[in-house]
Amino acid sequence: MTHRIVVDLATGTTTQVEYTAEEQAIYDAAVAAQEAETPAEVVAETTTEVPAETTVETPTEPTQEA
Amino acid sequence: MSVTINASTSSGLVQSADTSGTVEIQSNGTTKFTVASTGAYGQITSGTAVASTSGTSIDFTSIPSWVKRITVIFNGVSTNGSSNILLQIGSGSIQTTGYAGCSISSSTASAVAFANGTSGFNYGSNGGASSVIGGQAIFSTLGSNIWSQSGSLGDSGNTRLYLNGGSVTLSGALDRVRITTVNGTDTFDAGSINILYEG
Repeated sequence: MTHRIVVDLATGTTTQVEYTAEEQAIYDAAVAAQEAETPAEVVAETTTEVPAETTVETPTEPTQEA
Repeated sequence: MSVTINASTSSGLVQSADTSGTVEIQSNGTTKFTVASTGAYGQITSGTAVASTSGTSIDFTSIPSWVKRITVIFNGVSTNGSSNILLQIGSGSIQTTGYAGCSISSSTASAVAFANGTSGFNYGSNGGASSVIGGQAIFSTLGSNIWSQSGSLGDSGNTRLYLNGGSVTLSGALDRVRITTVNGTDTFDAGSINILYEG
């Protein structure tokens, strides 16, 4: 369960306050939205990097073997 | 005429308030120092240091209405994500609109200024989960529930400095401060935070 830390200066007490059902729903929706965005970024980065490395390495290796 | 009162060696000096609950020390007819049931005016009071090792936000509540300045202190604070540190204040509840300001993230290579947004005072851009943040932010009121804030946070994990300045108007007397992140979902995982307050 998600929570926040609350320090009450009047009493000097520190408590861990669990999210309400409504807050948890908002939190879950926000996390889901972030996770939905993350795979797209990973794919974009991977697609860009792999061909560039392959292109450079492929012609070099046969030359060294010869 | 001056009067000296010696403390008892067994119980110390005790000055009790009348039924108002307020003790005042005056000089030349003017009150210079007041001790009320909610705290002492004219001196710096430390809150309770809390470990910022869990949770999505850390709130300091029940801040007395006579407070004029608040210092939020960060020591080795980190989160599990890359969302910027966000500071918010409130009266009765945390205010999430109406903030105006600007922030700068400075590294050894460059400095980037970016819009603060309106949901809080935005300290970034965060270097990611490797951030280890120390420093302070100071809130001061100029009256009428208008609060200005400025601060500098150093990120030793990413060799960055985060600066922020801005202001916001609350609907009533400030009674709380929240330390969270912009996305509201990153979780604190290291360090400690405290506040100082004074009137």
